[in-house]
Order: sequence, then C-alpha cells, then structure tokens
Amino acid sequence: MHLEIVTPDKKLFSGEVKSVKLPGTDGSFGVLNNHAPIIASLKKGTVKVTEQNQAVQNFEIKGGVVEVLNNKMIVLAE
Amino acid sequence: MANLKEVRNRIVSVSSTQQITSAMKMVSAAKLRRAQDAVTQMRPYAGKLKEILENLSASLDSSEGVFSRQREANNVLLIVVTSNRGLCGAFNANAIKQANFLAKKQYKGKQISVLCVGKKAADFFKKTEYKIVGSDLPRNASELFDKLTFDNVAPVAEKIMEAFAKGQFDRIDIIYNQFKNAAVQVTTVEQFLPVAPASQENKKSNAVTDYIFEPGKKEIVDDLIPRSLKTQFYKALLDSHAAEHGARMTAMHKATDNAKELIKALKLHYNKARQAAITGEILEIVGGAEALNN
Repeated sequence: MHLEIVTPDKKLFSGEVKSVKLPGTDGSFGVLNNHAPIIASLKKGTVKVTEQNQAVQNFEIKGGVVEVLNNKMIVLAE
Repeated sequence: MANLKEVRNRIVSVSSTQQITSAMKMVSAAKLRRAQDAVTQMRPYAGKLKEILENLSASLDSSEGVFSRQREANNVLLIVVTSNRGLCGAFNANAIKQANFLAKKQYKGKQISVLCVGKKAADFFKKTEYKIVGSDLPRNASELFDKLTFDNVAPVAEKIMEAFAKGQFDRIDIIYNQFKNAAVQVTTVEQFLPVAPASQENKKSNAVTDYIFEPGKKEIVDDLIPRSLKTQFYKALLDSHAAEHGARMTAMHKATDNAKELIKALKLHYNKARQAAITGEILEIVGGAEALNN
C-alpha cells in the first residue's frame, strides 16, 4: 500500500508501507493492505507508520483528513 | 572645464547605485526561487483537499454551514496583501489601488474595514477613513512575511473566520498579487467568505467510488471547510510573497539597465569635456609659441 503524508508546507512521508495507525475523530484505527475506500477526519495525535521492513515511524499531527482508495492512501495533515 | 570633476563624481555615484540594484536583483532572484518552491510544495495538499471536498459536497447540501451562509453585505472586510518593503515597482500600488476601487465603487456606502497584511498597505490605509482591524490578532499581520509557514498563518485565518461566524462581517474579500511568472503579477480579488457556492458541474464519474465516511459526511465537510479556507488564505500569502520578489527582481533589473545607460551617456559627456579641455590647452600653448616667434 502506498502512503503519502502531506502538509501545506511539505511532504512528510511518501513510500510503500505495511500498516498505518491513525488518530480518527471517533477513535484510533488502523489501515492494512486492501482496505475499503474510506474518507475519515483525524484529530490531534500520532500517525504510526510501519514500513515494509518493519521500521516504525511516528508523525505528530494536529488534525487532518485521510483518504484511502485502491491501496493508495493520502493523509492531509496539519 | 569646471564640470569635469562634477561629471566624474556623478559617474562614481551612479555606478555605486548600479552595484546596489544589481545586488538586490540577485537577492530577490534567490528569494523568489524559495518562495516559488513553497507555492509548489503546497499544491498537492491544496489539490487533494479540493478534490475530497468536491467529492463530498456533490452529494451534500453545503449551503447551510456557518461559513457558506450568504448575508446582505453591510459590513465588508477587505484583506489587502502587500509587501513590507518597497522598491518593487507598481506591486504595492496595484493592490492598494484595487482595494480602493472596491471600497469606492463596488461596496459604496457599506461599512468597510481593512485588514492589512504588509506594512505598505498599513501605511496607506492609516491615512484613510476606513476602519483598520487586526490589532487583536495573535501576531502582527505584517510580521507574517518574516516567517511564512502554515502554522503561523493559520491562527490569523482562524481569527478572520471567527469574526465572520460571529457576524462581525458579512463579506470578506482578499486582494493580492497573484504570481504568474517572474515578470508578471496579476492583481486578484478573491472572495474569502462566505464560501462561494461550488460550480454546478457535478461530475458523476467521481461518485462511483463507494467511500466509507468516518465519522460522517456532514462532520467531515464541517471539518474540511475551515481547513480549505486556511489553505486558501495561506496560498494567497504565498502567492503574494513570490510575486513580490518577482516584481522586485524585474524592477531592479530595469534599474540596473537604466544605470548602465546613464553611465554610458555620462562617460560620453565626460570624454567630450576632457577632449575639449585638451584642445583648449593645446590652442593656448600654440598661441603662446606663435606670440614668442613673432
């Protein structure tokens, strides 16, 4: 699954990932490969990205929105 | 020839001015590149945000939100974006002129307030009868250009949106110079609030994807609209910032060229005067020798 995390200032992350954990407005949720199309709003918290080689990266965000479509995931963060 | 020295002094002063203007051109060119990069950086974000928003609002009546309520425009806020520094041609004058035109013609007789981003606009509107707002902002609006990041700009946009939501203003327009390329800036008036109704071309092809919405369509739209407004405001500032450096670069380029022309003319004048002086001296010597021979 391809993930992009963009903010208005720069691109924080771009690459293939295994799983992503997101701070949804209604509670934290995870996204794995072949997830159904979803648009969800995010609240302040940490986006936890697990890459293909198991490396884990954390990104602090103040809120945003995420779109998943055809194994392409875009996080618009602030 | 008494003016020989004067001309020499002028040549020296013009060439030092030329040095300054060409240095300023270089600096602006470097800053322009960085400003342009910032505009490019935010494009994917703005594009995706717009896409999602259009996708959502196609199936949702969005004319009910706090920010899209159309009211009779009695209290108008004009956000005038200029630069903090001068020496950039007609850049600031254009934006101020446009704002003045709006206030005098389109919003004639309305209660007009002005929010100045950039010292040049602030200096101008201080002398007019319009109400200046923005003293309650978290930071001075003109300081935004010192460090133009989304985190700095967002609180200002939030304040403006809050004022609209509270009914302090019925209509808010942004006047700024849009960056076309390094040589061309277009003075633009953009409606900031209320949110302009989306164009009616609802592309049905977009609606094919069956998204899950979390927590719900309406909540997401309510969350996205302020975000897209902040992005719009930020984009206007970035655009103006890039345009400013473009305008300054062009202005300084012209100034350098002018100085070059001026130096050429002065050099010609100087050489003419120098030769006239030499001719005069030779004439005197020859005259003196002739007198001795006789």
